[in-house]
Amino acid sequence: MKRKPGVLLIGLGVLAFVATMIGAFRLAVTFDQRLAFHPPISERGEAEEWTPRQEALEQQRQEEEEAARTKPYEEEEYRAFPKVGSRVAIWVVAQLHLLFAAFVLAVPMFAVVIEWIGIRTGDKRYDALAYEFTKLLSVSFSLTATFGAGLTFMLIALYPKFTNYLMHVFSPTFLPYVLLFFAEAGFLYTYYYGWGKFSPKVHLFLGIMLNVVGTGIMVIANAWLTFMMTPNGVSESGALISTWDAVSNYTWMPINIHRLIANVAYGGSVAAAYAAYQFLQAKNDAERAHYDWMGYIGNFVAICGLLPLPFAGYWLASEIYAFSQTMGLTMMGGAFSWLFIIQAVLIGNLFLFANWYLWLGMGRIQGAERFRAFIWPLLTIITICFAIWATPRSIIATTEEVQAMGGSSHPVLGYLGVMSAKNTAVNILILTTYVSFLLYRRSGKIPTVKWAKTGNLAQAIIFALSAATVIGYGIAGYRVDAATRIGFSRPQVGAVLLAMLLVTVIDVLMLRGAKTTDTRWGKIRPLSQYLLIMLAVTFTWLMGLMGYLRSGLRLHWHVFGVVRDTSPDAFTPTLGFATQVVSVTVLIFFGLIGFVFWLAGLSGKESHAGEEAAAHAAHPSPVGFDPSPAGATPMSSAGGSAPAASAATSSRIETS
Amino acid sequence: MKIPVTLQLVIITLALTGFYTMVGQAVPQKEVHPPEVIEIPTTISTAEMVEIGKSIFEGKGLCSTCHTIGKSGALRFPDLAGIAERAATRKPGYTALDYLAESLYEPDAYVVPGFNPGMPVINKPPVGLTDQEILTVIAYLESLGGEPTVTMETKLVYTGGSREGEAGGDEAAEAVAE
Repeated sequence: MKRKPGVLLIGLGVLAFVATMIGAFRLAVTFDQRLAFHPPISERGEAEEWTPRQEALEQQRQEEEEAARTKPYEEEEYRAFPKVGSRVAIWVVAQLHLLFAAFVLAVPMFAVVIEWIGIRTGDKRYDALAYEFTKLLSVSFSLTATFGAGLTFMLIALYPKFTNYLMHVFSPTFLPYVLLFFAEAGFLYTYYYGWGKFSPKVHLFLGIMLNVVGTGIMVIANAWLTFMMTPNGVSESGALISTWDAVSNYTWMPINIHRLIANVAYGGSVAAAYAAYQFLQAKNDAERAHYDWMGYIGNFVAICGLLPLPFAGYWLASEIYAFSQTMGLTMMGGAFSWLFIIQAVLIGNLFLFANWYLWLGMGRIQGAERFRAFIWPLLTIITICFAIWATPRSIIATTEEVQAMGGSSHPVLGYLGVMSAKNTAVNILILTTYVSFLLYRRSGKIPTVKWAKTGNLAQAIIFALSAATVIGYGIAGYRVDAATRIGFSRPQVGAVLLAMLLVTVIDVLMLRGAKTTDTRWGKIRPLSQYLLIMLAVTFTWLMGLMGYLRSGLRLHWHVFGVVRDTSPDAFTPTLGFATQVVSVTVLIFFGLIGFVFWLAGLSGKESHAGEEAAAHAAHPSPVGFDPSPAGATPMSSAGGSAPAASAATSSRIETS
Repeated sequence: MKIPVTLQLVIITLALTGFYTMVGQAVPQKEVHPPEVIEIPTTISTAEMVEIGKSIFEGKGLCSTCHTIGKSGALRFPDLAGIAERAATRKPGYTALDYLAESLYEPDAYVVPGFNPGMPVINKPPVGLTDQEILTVIAYLESLGGEPTVTMETKLVYTGGSREGEAGGDEAAEAVAE
């Protein structure tokens, strides 16, 4: 009975839509009649002679018709889009398509993993969680396809000559793309609607295939856009030499990897935002516990994607430099250099919000108090790294200030604006966030192995050595030539990755058979949920900004160095304008994703309590997987893990 | 009064998006336009070539994206202050003009020690300067620490001429033989 208002709203919405369409049609007919020419006194009879004006109009019409008949066919190069122009129209539609596509590609990745955990442990709650994530996909997939079709038609209509050129190069890739798209639709809807209808293994297979074909689609589309940036396989005049070479251009594989990871981070954050939205609207503690857990897992997925993302970014940037130093320098030191200051603010916020969420999350774990003392030092390090990363090399200053400083760089802070400092800051930022994860992971666990103290000491030494390596290379970067300095980023990245790997291995081994304390899912400050929303908004905005950078790097070229942009939009707009377009796109996206959340929420809430209770009945004892940081680690003797604790919270509420 | 959750989230989204937009407005704003076609008369003097070459260096040629003039420290690409003087000593048998022309038409033929190769071929896209524009850029580079000698009539080895160094070398060899 509770669903009635929703059904009523949908019915009213349909009626309103139909009424609006009828009204608009009638309005158009009325205006058309009013604006049509009417003889001043009465309609001209057949016998009446034409006025000079009518004769002139008729002659003009005949001349135009004749001119149209004799005019040879010419392919139009560009067509204009009203009001905002062709570029902004394509920009917004392409970005919306990418945002939904990223979400649709990402969610099945972690949904399948969660489902697999559920199958392996026999815990229905994981299955229910995977289904809840998948519920977000159906409408999102339709929106992705809609924006994709819109983008294609707009490219053909607004940039016909350039689109034709891309078809000339990439036509062999179109059929596989279309077939994969059909396959994705098939796998997606079978995976979603077949939940509980197939055997678990068959259903899992459907999910895996959904990921495989989805990734295949992304990889093909990436070839088109990376070719525009770093063309290959064509002659200087643009004639096709090899389609495969055009596909496997300089930035194709780095973009494939970067997008794959970024999609996971982004999809996790949007799914976490959905959970936060539901948490804030939850009617009881059982719902709060469920959505707290869901939000936590979404955020965990997002941060798992975020941490390796800068490394994938390094690779992409180095390939851009390898293709064209000019393009690389335009990116880092030319027109777009200030974009990286905006990016630093965004990524700094991402790390800050993510860490803050983890620290707030410790409040729900008994025994986490012993780690509270670490929060302020961690916050201080994050703030310092954030500030260094956001320090520009050149400062906006008046002429007098520039004279006083002896140049556009600040005499002291200018040293923090160079890559040596920024690379160091971002690596320490990643390391610090990993420490936060580690503390959170260990909050509810007390190791029982004999070598626990030695393990802790080893972890501390590894962190210290890693940080010293990063800082040491950062300082040395000021004293060496350019070629050597660029090479320093590799040992810096290597030191951080190695430390994370070694510390994780030690931690997993050390916490085997650990004593665990209770995790009170749902018992977390609402602020944490707003942080999840802010993370999703920031991720989305960052994707929009970096999409602008990737596209803008081509400057006045459709295909860099091969097909020149001669349209009125051939110039690169200011960062201020770009950020406005990004913001509008982000707001449209959140308007639409809000609709997706609302639809998903309609079918979930009533069944949730039942699922939770049934799952609890099936698993009264602790389950074998831990959804806390560092992954789904087998913890056969560990009690009080996430879903069990969630159910425990529910049962406590029920009994109280 | 309690604000509905949906409205709260709308406010947060708008506020955060607004903040990021403000950050975008706070940084320097610059529109980058495609390079304009530069008409270079064949009758201009070397001094005029230097002026035009400077504007191409800073604009259409994108040279100043990578190269600095008069800066020291940890640079990514060679500083060009005094390049006219150094250019004459870079490669044996090359005059400053030979070296500068090679640097623009075949930038990877000689890479200054301590730096990575990476300079684009200047007469090919995406920079795509014409032979006349390149002559003016050479005139400007010759003016950095030296006296420009190039004219609009100068034929480089890449435009149907020969290397000055080779010509000088041949003359010297002939003189020795005599």
